[in-house]
Amino acid sequence: MATPSRSEILTLFRSLLRSARQFQDYNIREYTKRRTIDAFRHNKTLSEPSSIAAAFSDGQSQLQVAKRQAVVYSLYAPKIKSIMDIKH
Amino acid sequence: MASKIIASTVRRSLSPKLLPLIRPLSTAAAAAAPAEPYDTSAGISMKGVKISGRPLYLDMQATSPVDPRVLDAMLPYFVSQYGNPHSRTHLYGWESDEAVEAARAQVAGLINASPKEIVFTSGATECNNISVKGVMHFYKEKKKHVITTQTEHKCVLDSCRHLQQEGFDVTYLPVKSDGLIDLNDLRNSIRSDTGLVSVMAVNNEIGVIQPMEEIGEICKEFGVPFHTDAAQALGKIPVDVNKWNVSLMSLSGHKVYGPKGVGALYMRRRPRIRVEPQMNGGGQERGIRSGTVPTPLVVGMGAACEIAMKEMEYDGKRAVKLKDRLLNGIRDRLDGVVVNGSTERRYAGNLNLSFAYVEGESLLMGLKEVAVSSGSACTSASLEPSYVLRALGVDEDMAHTSIRFGIGRFTTEEEIDKAIELTVNQVEKLREMSPLYEMVKEGIDIKSIQWSQH
Repeated sequence: MATPSRSEILTLFRSLLRSARQFQDYNIREYTKRRTIDAFRHNKTLSEPSSIAAAFSDGQSQLQVAKRQAVVYSLYAPKIKSIMDIKH
Repeated sequence: MASKIIASTVRRSLSPKLLPLIRPLSTAAAAAAPAEPYDTSAGISMKGVKISGRPLYLDMQATSPVDPRVLDAMLPYFVSQYGNPHSRTHLYGWESDEAVEAARAQVAGLINASPKEIVFTSGATECNNISVKGVMHFYKEKKKHVITTQTEHKCVLDSCRHLQQEGFDVTYLPVKSDGLIDLNDLRNSIRSDTGLVSVMAVNNEIGVIQPMEEIGEICKEFGVPFHTDAAQALGKIPVDVNKWNVSLMSLSGHKVYGPKGVGALYMRRRPRIRVEPQMNGGGQERGIRSGTVPTPLVVGMGAACEIAMKEMEYDGKRAVKLKDRLLNGIRDRLDGVVVNGSTERRYAGNLNLSFAYVEGESLLMGLKEVAVSSGSACTSASLEPSYVLRALGVDEDMAHTSIRFGIGRFTTEEEIDKAIELTVNQVEKLREMSPLYEMVKEGIDIKSIQWSQH
């Protein structure tokens, strides 16, 4: 698969963060956000095209998982939110 | 007909609270229905406690939330690919079997074993039962002795007690005050008829990591099978069945962000360890554990193990960072805080603290917005202080005030800060009221007081 361009990578990054916002569960939402940022930061230094392409396709499949699970979690979201979402 | 329409309109217009009165429960259902926690607009009220929202979860050793990626892997096997993996005649069975074998390889990959050495069970408790009772019953002609530790999980200790009733000898090795066993004790306890040594890798209450490689070497030297309960260790510290020289290993799904109700038993093939099965039936799982293998749960455990393999380093570093933040945050504002168990050989995600001059039950009562545990979930029903802390030699009063904070993959810095806030406030409040603390502040040594008896 062709090496993804910078704009494609940025789009993937933004889509992952957007899907993180869809999660109603405080812990999953924060984890998705944090893990995305840390993973992209860690992979910033990748130089070999094959490893960049592999990381990109891994990110794309994670995005699909996140989108599906955001729907599932919203269907079963508890009525009362976590304490962390209420105070603050 | 018209009356039915009227009745349904009336029912729809009434508030939801009155509906249960119109159609009261039948006697059988009424007896079975639990007291419902009622949702007030301000929060939840359950068991006499009112909280404004769901507590923040810091009890990862009791169980861990299912990772969304694991749930994603499991759902197809609940929804459409629901076949029995042992059905050989149709697609449903074949695809289910394929999924089970893929999961087996994922679990084996995490512990550096071969997929042929993994047997799926219903959890680590069942694995421990198979290991302890199954091994000893198989070799009962020649081997009559089992060695274990005083800090093992209840299921291992109970299985050993069961063996004792059948006539086997069991040695319970004591632990030092840091929670680790003395290797010389182990060496000296091994007899010619020792059939099994069982030592858990990471303790569920205090989080100490036993010297697994050294124990494995000793067992290899004497030719004794080595069983370990690695339920808390899997996915958190590197687990290698060859480095540790284990013959049997119990693994649990719900401690690695997988589903509850599934576990795996590692059984070495070279040299072969044999067990007497505890579940008899159709010979599934190589005759070791009969019963239909629950495909969705097993797929979940496999996915969880694969994720754990990728995330172990990241999660481990984070656990250390959060543990330091928690411990320093509490120690900065409180004195008399003791960490139970070794501080060096420890899994960072398990922080067991004792607060001096504070009563444990009242501390827990005030910490309702944080989900923590005191003692392990298995023993917190009784009022006895945890046997693990007693084995460490912790004083009764300190053992009663122990709190176990469990840090996991999904714990955030804000949750840690809030936990610090709540714990410190509650401890300070209790110490304010405590006359014992006043006396300590004045410099009186509590242990030297002669309490008068009335």
